[in-house]
Amino acid sequence: MSALLVRAEGLGKSYPKVYRSRDRLRALGRLLLNGSNPDSISVLRGIDLDVHRGESLGLIGENGAGKSTLLKLITGVLTPSAGRVTVNGEIGALLELGAGFHPEYTGRDNIAMSAALHGLDAAALRERLPQIIEFADIGQYIDEPVKHYSSGMIVRLGFAVVAALKPDLLITDEVLAVGDESFQKKCVKWMQDYLDGGGTLLLVSHSMYHIQKLCRRACWLREGEIVMQGDVFDVTQAYLAYHEKKSAPAMSEAKSSAAGLEFSIEDVTLNGIGAEGPLMLQGGDAIRVSTRIHSRDARTPGLAVGIVRVDGTPVYGVTTDMDGAIPLRVSDHEYACELEFEALALLPGSYTVRVHSMDPEGVRLFDTVERSFVVRGTSRESGLVRLPHRWKGGHGMGDSA
Amino acid sequence: MPSGLLIYRFVGRELRNRFAGSIWGGFWALFQPLLQLAIMSFVFVRIFSARVPGLEAGAYAPFLAVALWPWTAFADGVLRATTSIQENAALIGKVAVPRELLVLSSVAASFLIHIAGFIAVVLVLALMGTSIRLAGLLPALLLYIPLVTLVAGIALICASLQVFVRDLSQALGQLLPLMLYCAPVFYDRMQVPADYRSLFDFNPFTFYAETFRAILLGHGTFDGGRLLVACGVALGVLLLGHVLFRRLKPHFEDFL
Repeated sequence: MSALLVRAEGLGKSYPKVYRSRDRLRALGRLLLNGSNPDSISVLRGIDLDVHRGESLGLIGENGAGKSTLLKLITGVLTPSAGRVTVNGEIGALLELGAGFHPEYTGRDNIAMSAALHGLDAAALRERLPQIIEFADIGQYIDEPVKHYSSGMIVRLGFAVVAALKPDLLITDEVLAVGDESFQKKCVKWMQDYLDGGGTLLLVSHSMYHIQKLCRRACWLREGEIVMQGDVFDVTQAYLAYHEKKSAPAMSEAKSSAAGLEFSIEDVTLNGIGAEGPLMLQGGDAIRVSTRIHSRDARTPGLAVGIVRVDGTPVYGVTTDMDGAIPLRVSDHEYACELEFEALALLPGSYTVRVHSMDPEGVRLFDTVERSFVVRGTSRESGLVRLPHRWKGGHGMGDSA
Repeated sequence: MPSGLLIYRFVGRELRNRFAGSIWGGFWALFQPLLQLAIMSFVFVRIFSARVPGLEAGAYAPFLAVALWPWTAFADGVLRATTSIQENAALIGKVAVPRELLVLSSVAASFLIHIAGFIAVVLVLALMGTSIRLAGLLPALLLYIPLVTLVAGIALICASLQVFVRDLSQALGQLLPLMLYCAPVFYDRMQVPADYRSLFDFNPFTFYAETFRAILLGHGTFDGGRLLVACGVALGVLLLGHVLFRRLKPHFEDFL
């Protein structure tokens, strides 16, 4: 196990509630008298986090989840109100926009200031200045006051300074989102080289692409607490699924009256797992949708099975009628039917299977039951399904002959 | 402990902030006090015919100048440093910069500017043939050491309180002139009714006004015992400021 670079134990942060000016005076009084924080709003609670040297950790979560606050606590810009954080190394941090640049000063002057703040002496700065200016690549603007910069240029300059410092731990907060395409690529490339060279990265981003590309581990924060922490693919998938579910329209709940229907669904299992689900799968596994249907008038039912992603995007749907399949009669009013997808081509993510009972003609739809399943995996392909494909051309670019 | 380079950069930044955008830049630091000296000589000596008992008529200009310039450093140092944390909120929120540095570099910048002005004024007064003693310039500069210590202490206290109670800088704008008029700067302590004279010792600036005069003009006597007391007070205030600042600084970000 490599050396521990950052350790947070029971870390918490709360901001005092100050609505009126009078509250500030009261807060001051309390701080002076007993050192305790007055009434406060908690934004981060009970964070336990270890970052080892050479690791890359992505922080994800909604706006206001406490990601930036956590970074600020680690950087030492904020003081924790509970727990503690220890850092054994030099930190280079790019928090939000601006990186503390003074708007009246030129880019060049601000570089000198930032360098001094990061403990770089004059000789080292002289040596690295051309490199910083080249990396920022903002042309003549380097001698203009920073107040004339676009937000992208500020980030370019900020990143260039931090990149030149080669810190033990690099902390960046939504930095990539502001730069243009080519600068993003440059940053990502730099970060990859930095990681390959043994650097440690703590990245906040709303781009799962960047998180997955740069980070091995991820940590998901929600409302100030860690929801999940671990392998980057597991965490980002869970996070995306959470979002997909959030944005999916609320499903109609009126299903309990199914008993009186002509064809009602009694049970649906996915590989034997019912409502207790979700079923966990690996990409390429088989999935069996087993259904039992109650037929009020003892007629043979029809069945429709559809797969949708949790946000409601349809993936595939088929009915017994289309394929000419007929459910198996178990007893007078009981029918069973099983649909198997072998070697499921779905990409990692969360999905829902919807089963509808239909009349034999495949016209009317009676009952609906849903079961969810999760395809796990570390694939970086994008989309819903893996289409069979083959690359033509050279073989094994990475392999040596 | 911040590195020397960092202190240098911060003080440089402060100095440049003061003159940012002006064409003459640092030249104002020298020109302003001289212009002010000319105006005051004219107003007080020619119009008001101000004079201090026991001194000749033309002696009022140096009498006022050697006490007023240290005062300007004092007042400017306190006032600007008070808002230094608040004004650098953007920096504090983004970079782990030692907070004290912001306050102390503001004080240092004020003193550098006003000491330069002080030297210029003393030299010009000497050239004009007033009774100023150039030999007293070096000891007078040494007297700035307890003064800047005192100001640093007050600045740490005010800057940390200002974060919580924004009224402080407003109040200081009123309180500092009051303190100026309650110190023997425009007048001599001997001109005050005898009953009130001893009260002046409670004004921390009284000692400096009188001692600058004793050193540079030979007006009044230099008292080593009072110097020790003043040094003790300055160190005490600095210590208090340090303790208060350290207590409150973890919470600055929450209230900025």
